[in-house]
Amino acid sequence: MKSNVRSLERVENIKGWLLSGPYWIFAAIFFGYPFVWLVVLALSKWNFISPRETIWLDNFIKLFRDPMFWTVTWNTIRFMFYFIPMGLTLSIALAMAFSKAKRFKTFFAMSFLIANVSSGVAYSIIFTQLFSTNGPVNNFLYDHFGVFIPWFSDPNWAMFSIAIMVTWKFMGYYALIFLAGLQAIPKELYEAAEIDGATKWTQFWKITLPLLNPSIVMVMVLAITLTFGIFTEPFMITGGGPLNSTQTFMMVIYTDAFLKYEPGYAATMSIVAAGMSFALILLTRKLIERKVEFA
Amino acid sequence: MKKKVGLLFLTVVMIVAIVGFSEAITLTLWTAPNPNQNLFWKTLLPEWAKTHPNIKIKWSQIPAAGSSEEAILTAIASNRQPDICTNIFSGFAAELISSKAIVPLDSFAGFKDLVKARDMSNVIKKWEYNGHYYVLPIYVNPMLVWWRKDILAKYGFNQPPRTYSQIYDLAKKVVIPHRRYVYQAVTGVNWWSRWFDFITDYYAASGGKPYIYPEKQVAVFNNKYGKEVANFIYTLFKDHYTAVDLGNLPFYNGAVVGMIMGPWSIPYAQRQFPNILKNDVVVTPPPVPDNYPKDKPIYTFADTKGMIIFKTSKHKEAAWEFMKWVYSNPEHDVLWIKLTQMPPAREDLLTNKLFAPYLKDPVFAAYAKYVPYSVPPALSSKTVSIQQAMTNKLIEPLMYLKTTPQKALNDAVAAVNNILFQ
Repeated sequence: MKSNVRSLERVENIKGWLLSGPYWIFAAIFFGYPFVWLVVLALSKWNFISPRETIWLDNFIKLFRDPMFWTVTWNTIRFMFYFIPMGLTLSIALAMAFSKAKRFKTFFAMSFLIANVSSGVAYSIIFTQLFSTNGPVNNFLYDHFGVFIPWFSDPNWAMFSIAIMVTWKFMGYYALIFLAGLQAIPKELYEAAEIDGATKWTQFWKITLPLLNPSIVMVMVLAITLTFGIFTEPFMITGGGPLNSTQTFMMVIYTDAFLKYEPGYAATMSIVAAGMSFALILLTRKLIERKVEFA
Repeated sequence: MKKKVGLLFLTVVMIVAIVGFSEAITLTLWTAPNPNQNLFWKTLLPEWAKTHPNIKIKWSQIPAAGSSEEAILTAIASNRQPDICTNIFSGFAAELISSKAIVPLDSFAGFKDLVKARDMSNVIKKWEYNGHYYVLPIYVNPMLVWWRKDILAKYGFNQPPRTYSQIYDLAKKVVIPHRRYVYQAVTGVNWWSRWFDFITDYYAASGGKPYIYPEKQVAVFNNKYGKEVANFIYTLFKDHYTAVDLGNLPFYNGAVVGMIMGPWSIPYAQRQFPNILKNDVVVTPPPVPDNYPKDKPIYTFADTKGMIIFKTSKHKEAAWEFMKWVYSNPEHDVLWIKLTQMPPAREDLLTNKLFAPYLKDPVFAAYAKYVPYSVPPALSSKTVSIQQAMTNKLIEPLMYLKTTPQKALNDAVAAVNNILFQ
């Protein structure tokens, strides 16, 4: 009896390894090996061509002394400060609008996803043209109000303008996540609240928002990850300027690795940036994640 | 028996050797990912194949990546680099040279003959590094200023401005705030933008003198020429004669009267704005300080790229043979002009009858004329860092009027020297 159980366990064990084996091989090749290589690079001085030299923690010391690292960290915080409130508010509003739609709900939702799947390069060019000095937005503002906004050419405006673009791109995607969250909230809760005399505003603050917590946490996690990975928009539109106000981690990592031939230093910055985003995600979850039960 | 076996073995060895030696060599060639240049190689390579059956060329564009340099570096790191590669700019060449990744071309027999045959003795001198030549320049794109003839005429100017003061005088008449400016002083805030504004203006003001002293690798652009240029840029922004953002297609939309352009703008203008190109464009060298001698030629920046042979190539002599074949025949440069409209790196464009048909186009003729007066950027492996420092310490403070031209220059030179001494 015992031996039969053992033999069954062995068969199950083999089956398990066989089924998960391809994934492990894939993960080892495409995640494990690059990760190990990333750590090796971060501890090295190399220019792609000459032999690699191990310099241990020198790249990390150099990084924390590099003013560009601190500029980029500050830019990332500024971007988050603009993007997360804008993205959350607009996508929740959009999701609530979707949930109220009687017809073509899916069509509207999918329409907003077009921005998300469109090419970053293409829409960056379109936005550059729309918001340029002699573009339609500024022409309208100048002709009707006599004002002119230096969207991408003023250090105080440039990051905000990029945040507007990124919000436009991701608003529809985040709204779909919120829509799923809204649909999961039982209608009875609203009916009961109405009977108790709660206004729509109270219902939103006391029912909708608390019960949307899992979706809010998910969107926050996605938004933080996105913030540390932003590249196409500033690269295409501002080149990191004016006065380095739109330099991002990804832009500096790319420039250091492939234009300044310092992949070791770039690897160090990517590890630190990943660590920062991971820490921020943990902090966010700790601060705002709540257990939600509908029953 | 032993004799028979020995004879058989010898025969087999001889057959293998004969087959081996007569087997065609295959060279890998990577060229710039540019449709016009692709057409050039596509046309040329079948001719080579006809005349050189023993040296086959496996041609492809530089693989898709963020930049050519990125693709080439990745290839080097994984030991997949080609034998021959084009699209090499000076800064990248310096990095490849200092890492001993490429071959000095003057080590091959016939190098001097090729330089003479292509009439490029002066052009190639600017590519000298440590007393050797590692890159064969393919084309030289002088940076010149396009002026809107129609706007100049409207305000009573028969000639485009030549000096800084003439530009200020023109600005006083043509500038309409938020609508039209006189000259694009700054071309962007990317590291490469400095080639097309400060460095171009510096070469013009100094008569082609270096901004980084080549032997000692010391930045020297806080001299009197640099001061003139910095003051010029600063004045344009301070007096609102130019703006940070000039909008879309500012030259063609008439948002700016003058703008630095490369010859690659010609085919674009031919397709998109043929009337403006035909009737309203006049081309001049970059502006110069007021005291610049009238009889002295004006120098400018050369956007130039070249061809190299990698040290890892197993067939360096064959690669050199190919390079010689491409560039010793002027007909190939005629084809190059026809397909790319970029001036080849040779000094006889105005005198060689073969090129005469292309000089009928006044805009292309202007570019051809300035090839001998075009200077490439400083050969430094730290080009990107240097030009980022120029942007952050010099150009942006001037654009946003954050400091005086003198202080901006001193800060930029200090920052660049700091990079060079590291």
